[in-house]
Amino acid sequence: MRSESLMRMEPDLPPTPDPSGGGDPTRLATRLVGLLARSSRGDEQAFAEIYDLTTARVFGLARRVVRDPAQAEEVAQEAYLEIWHQSARFDPARGSALAWMLTIVHRRSVDRVRAAESSHERDRRYAALGDGPEYDVVDEAVTANFEQARVRRALGTLTDVQREAVTLAYYGGYTHREVSDLLGVPLGTVKTRMRDGLIRLRDTLGVEA
Amino acid sequence: MTNADVHALSGAYALDSLDAAEAAAFEEHLESCGSCRDEVRSLREAAGALALDVAETPPASLRSSVLAGISQVRPLPPVASEPAPPGNLVAETEAASSVPVHEMAAARERRTRRRSPWLVGVAAALAVVAGGAVVRSVQLDRELASVSDQVAAVSAVLTAPDATTTTATMTTGGRAAVVSSESLGSSVLIVDDLAPAPAGRTYQIWYLSDSGAAVSAGFVPDVRRSAVLLQGDLGAASGIGVTVEPEGGSSAPTTTPVLAVAV
Repeated sequence: MRSESLMRMEPDLPPTPDPSGGGDPTRLATRLVGLLARSSRGDEQAFAEIYDLTTARVFGLARRVVRDPAQAEEVAQEAYLEIWHQSARFDPARGSALAWMLTIVHRRSVDRVRAAESSHERDRRYAALGDGPEYDVVDEAVTANFEQARVRRALGTLTDVQREAVTLAYYGGYTHREVSDLLGVPLGTVKTRMRDGLIRLRDTLGVEA
Repeated sequence: MTNADVHALSGAYALDSLDAAEAAAFEEHLESCGSCRDEVRSLREAAGALALDVAETPPASLRSSVLAGISQVRPLPPVASEPAPPGNLVAETEAASSVPVHEMAAARERRTRRRSPWLVGVAAALAVVAGGAVVRSVQLDRELASVSDQVAAVSAVLTAPDATTTTATMTTGGRAAVVSSESLGSSVLIVDDLAPAPAGRTYQIWYLSDSGAAVSAGFVPDVRRSAVLLQGDLGAASGIGVTVEPEGGSSAPTTTPVLAVAV
């Protein structure tokens, strides 16, 4: 059984709450796989650990996309419920546990803003989005995190159009059509810039699954 | 769309920036294109890394809400041991113009007695249906595209910022909730533990107004749990009611409501 062998491989570590959202990515990845396997058998304690290890990233992503803190909390809660419900469906062969979880969070966040938003609100949101992530409002302790600094440096290696296309889609929740309109760049160009930008990000970060 | 165009969508897909139809088409392409599958997998890792840059500690209340929520929902078994029943989903959905929560309805075991945040559980299951519907629509094309629309419409109401929820108990013992969004002009009726309708009878939903008028708003599918997007407009209605009617429905209620909810 896949899950049992993964269980045995899992190091017996104490819970490591991770409010910074950082930490050793390799150890986190291994640990999450084991915890998801236990969750899929109904182990609520294992899921509580998953929550503690990922909540800063999960909530932060939801908050970045939907912006309203109360709605972000709802989206994060719904996403965690889906992760729990679907935990047996996670397949380590298809990518890391964290990427799988964040995909669920991101889709729910995007669904939320697309379902409920008037064009007026979207305009306001775009205005609030400014030129990119609001680096200045991020907590200082988080900023100091080494992993986070790597991500930020990697984003800095993208061309302006690549970075804007990627961040408008990922942080802003905009469709590629909307990104095309917002940037005044043809749709085909937006698609290739999104792909090129993510490829550069992947290669710079060395996050090949 | 040429082949080259399809491959170029991997980045937009990994960023969830395709619309539902494009995403479904791309997922169909993924079934047969190993290099795109590998690329999407790696690009999703890259996109996920972006979440680190916006990490933010949530309010402490989120932890207790999440842990209370999961205690109400049983994790799904692995895929291999539970083939999806898309045929039933389509039949029930088309017949009733609603979205049966089939994952829940199909559960073999009795539900746990503790279920105070049951709405959260229903919403979570709905989301699972939504996800499944998108994937399966690739295989079942138009029929499931309409399911997908239904799910999207129900989800839109459940997640609307101005959604209000009123819960009530049915005289037949089950529970119900009406979720309404004024901005969307739509309402969803969620029922749980619905008693089976008597033979030849059906549950009909009504918009009730203060003047005593009742306008049909559709039917509750004869399954234990479902979420129904009400037909028509809430308009000036002050309540939602459900009555048992002869199969095919009536033009006005003919029995005492089993459910009446003020909205």
